[in-house]
Amino acid sequence: MIFKKKNNRSKYDALLCIPEKNRLVKESTIDSGDVILSYQSVYKPLFQKIQKFVRKNPDNTFKRKIQLDRLGVDVWHLINGEKNVKAIIKEFANLHSLNYKEAEISVTLFLRSLGEKGLIGIKEP
Amino acid sequence: MLKQNNDLQKSIAWNEIVLKVPSAWEIDSLDTTHILVGKDGIPKLEIKWTDSPKQFTLEKYLKKFIAQSQRTLNIKILELPAPESFLHPNNNFKFFFFSWENASSNGNGALIFCSCCKKLTMIRFFSTSKISFHSLKYLILFSFCDHPVGNETDWQLFGLNFSTPQNFKLLEYSFKPGCYIINFKHKKTILTIFSWGPALFLLEETSLSEFATTRVPKLQGFATTGVCSFGNYLEWSYSHGLFKNAAILPLFNRYKFYTLFRICNNTQDNRIFGIMMDAPEKQFNRDLIKRSIIGDIQEKK
Repeated sequence: MIFKKKNNRSKYDALLCIPEKNRLVKESTIDSGDVILSYQSVYKPLFQKIQKFVRKNPDNTFKRKIQLDRLGVDVWHLINGEKNVKAIIKEFANLHSLNYKEAEISVTLFLRSLGEKGLIGIKEP
Repeated sequence: MLKQNNDLQKSIAWNEIVLKVPSAWEIDSLDTTHILVGKDGIPKLEIKWTDSPKQFTLEKYLKKFIAQSQRTLNIKILELPAPESFLHPNNNFKFFFFSWENASSNGNGALIFCSCCKKLTMIRFFSTSKISFHSLKYLILFSFCDHPVGNETDWQLFGLNFSTPQNFKLLEYSFKPGCYIINFKHKKTILTIFSWGPALFLLEETSLSEFATTRVPKLQGFATTGVCSFGNYLEWSYSHGLFKNAAILPLFNRYKFYTLFRICNNTQDNRIFGIMMDAPEKQFNRDLIKRSIIGDIQEKK
C-alpha cells in the first residue's frame, strides 16, 4: 500500500478501547514485588542476516524480558480484557490518589509502550 | 441569590482566572493566557484572555480582539443579545454575548471586560444550548473572576491547591506526570512550587530527606524540622553567592542570595509538596511562605 489509511480515531474513542494481554507473554513476580514479563521478540533484518552469516541460533527470535515497577504492575494487573482504557485510568488514579489527568497521561503512555512491544493488543468496544 | 448547583464542584484557578466547572471536566491544555477544558477528550469550554493596552477605546479594542479571535481560531463570531436577567456579582464586568461557528462545530459564549484590571476574556462553549437563567453555562459565567480579590492569588488545578502573594507573577511551569513545578517571580525573589507523587511509591525505598536532595540537587547543608498543616516538614536554609566564596569579596557581597526550601509528605493526598524561595538578602522574608502549598507553618515555641 502506498497510501496508509489515516487513523481518525478520536481521544474519546481511544479511551473506550479495551486493552488485552498477549497470551504468549509469561509473567513472574520477584521478591521486590516487581513483575518480569518475558516474551519472544524477532531480530531486526540486519541482525537476522548476521545470524545467518555466523550460523548461530537458527531461530529468528530471542527472549526479551521487561521488569515492571510497582506502578507498572498495578496497570498490568488492571488489564483483564474487559476494562476499557478509561476504567483503567480511573482505577489507577483512585489506587494512588492521583489526579485524573495525571493518571491519564501516565497510563496511556504506558499502554502505548506495551502495545508497541506487542505485549498487549487493543480491541474496539 | 443563585441556588447552589451541585454540578459545579470543581474550581479552576490559573494565572488569576478563576471559575467553577462540573467535576467530570478536566483541563485538556493550558498556557499563560489560555485554558481548554474538556470531558473525555471532547472540548467543552475554552478561555482566552489578554491584558488591555495602556490607551484604548473599548469598542475598537473589542472589534480588534474579535477579528483576531476569528482569524486565529478560524471561527465566525456573531453577536447575541444578553440572556434575560443575567447579573454577575462583580459590577466591574461588562458582558458581550456571542455565538460562533466553523466548518465542524458551533457554540456560544461571552466576552468579558473587567474595568478594574482591564482584562478582556473570551469564554467559548462548545455547544449551542442557551445561556439561560440557572443553566450550567450561566453558572460557569457567574463563577468567573479574572483578578485576585484579596492579597493572595489562588492556584487550583491538577489536584494542586495553594495561593501565592498577589505581586508574584507566573514565570514558568512544567506539568509532567509525577512532577509538577511552577515558578513565580516578584522583583528578584523567585518562588518555586513542587508537587511529586504518588508519595507512597516515591518514598518506598528512600527517606524524605534523601528524596529532597535527589530531586533538588542544589540544596546545601542539613535539614531542620518543623510542623505544618500536613504534619512534619523538612527545611533547608542557606545563602550562596554568584560563585564559591563570592560572599567574602566586598564587590560581590551584594549578589548574595538566600534560599529557603521546605518539603513535606501529605499522606492524605499521597503527594510530596515542596516550596522554595530564592531571594537577595534585602528581599528575603521567611513569612512570605508561611502559608503556602505545604499549609500553615506552626511557630516554634
